[in-house]
Amino acid sequence: MPELIKVRPTKIELVKLKRRLSLSQRVQKIIKDRLSILTMEFLQTARDTAEAKRNLLDEFSKLYKALSVAAGYHGYIALEKELIATEADLKITAGSRNIAGVRIPSFELMGNPDKVGMKGYNLVDTSSWLDRAAQLSEESLRAIVELAELQRNFELLAMEIHRTKRITNALEYIVIPGLQVTINYLNMKFEERDREEKVRLKRVKVLVAQG
Amino acid sequence: MPNPLQDEAKQSPYEKILQDCLRSELRIVNTGLPQSQKRQSKENKLFYLLNEKYPHVVCNDGSTHFFKKSELEYLASMIDIDEQKALLLPMLIELGANQAEAAIICEGKLEEKLISKALNMPVTCEERRIRIYKPQLALLRRKFKTTTVYVFSPKIVA
Repeated sequence: MPELIKVRPTKIELVKLKRRLSLSQRVQKIIKDRLSILTMEFLQTARDTAEAKRNLLDEFSKLYKALSVAAGYHGYIALEKELIATEADLKITAGSRNIAGVRIPSFELMGNPDKVGMKGYNLVDTSSWLDRAAQLSEESLRAIVELAELQRNFELLAMEIHRTKRITNALEYIVIPGLQVTINYLNMKFEERDREEKVRLKRVKVLVAQG
Repeated sequence: MPNPLQDEAKQSPYEKILQDCLRSELRIVNTGLPQSQKRQSKENKLFYLLNEKYPHVVCNDGSTHFFKKSELEYLASMIDIDEQKALLLPMLIELGANQAEAAIICEGKLEEKLISKALNMPVTCEERRIRIYKPQLALLRRKFKTTTVYVFSPKIVA
């Protein structure tokens, strides 16, 4: 049973309690809407994360095969010699965006997927196997960045849903029922006072008539 | 059952914290909205955002909302240059009293064209709102993650 809130039984307190109840009900409505949106986004992110993870594993598997073929064709020493010069700085744009009050990170690998200049090796001395491996490595990088973003979003949304659920439950099962019970109690108290007052007046009237 | 008559009139610290928490909840739901969504301002329009190195808008709370270039390019591919110069970003998705549907706030036919292309179904703009249902909203959000923002309607908040 919801607990009574400790207040003085005055009309002012009743008005204050009614205001508090209306605020709580409004907030509950907003929080419920927010929770439904966050849940929708969370489920979508979960699906996207699973897909991105699968995609990344596929990319890695293809890349490993392509690299193995390239290594077999050129030999490890020649391949390493070519790849030493290919190191390039990655540019990732990191920003943030807002989903229903939750700030979540947003990452994007800079550059066009078709034009990312990672091929720093000599195209004359190398085969198309290495080109294929380079192309797949770019795709893997893109998949890693995408997965990093999704996974972080997934965590942040889950934390926010947990927090919002606690607030919703507190409102639904403790705050609002407590306010309603207290308002009812105060109303009954005032009615009781009115009745007492009426009885007192009647009694005074009888005494005056007798006297 | 405790008797409120015998208790102190002052609010308990728990109650105060709860009230503060509720007030902050009201504040945070709309903090992600862009500061300016004026038709005259250039900074929020797709065409100008496309030419920025780091396309973003400043939000109500002073933070920045970042747009993905790939998403902007996808949007730009759906409309011509004149329309790109008129399209305000981010697009606002209003959540109203009816939980089953949402409304996209739009200025005219441009958003209508974009949304119908993205959802692959005809939509109509009535009273500056395009009404869509939750499954369509999920689909739209999947396509336009950074170029759409949720707005909690003043009808609920007020």
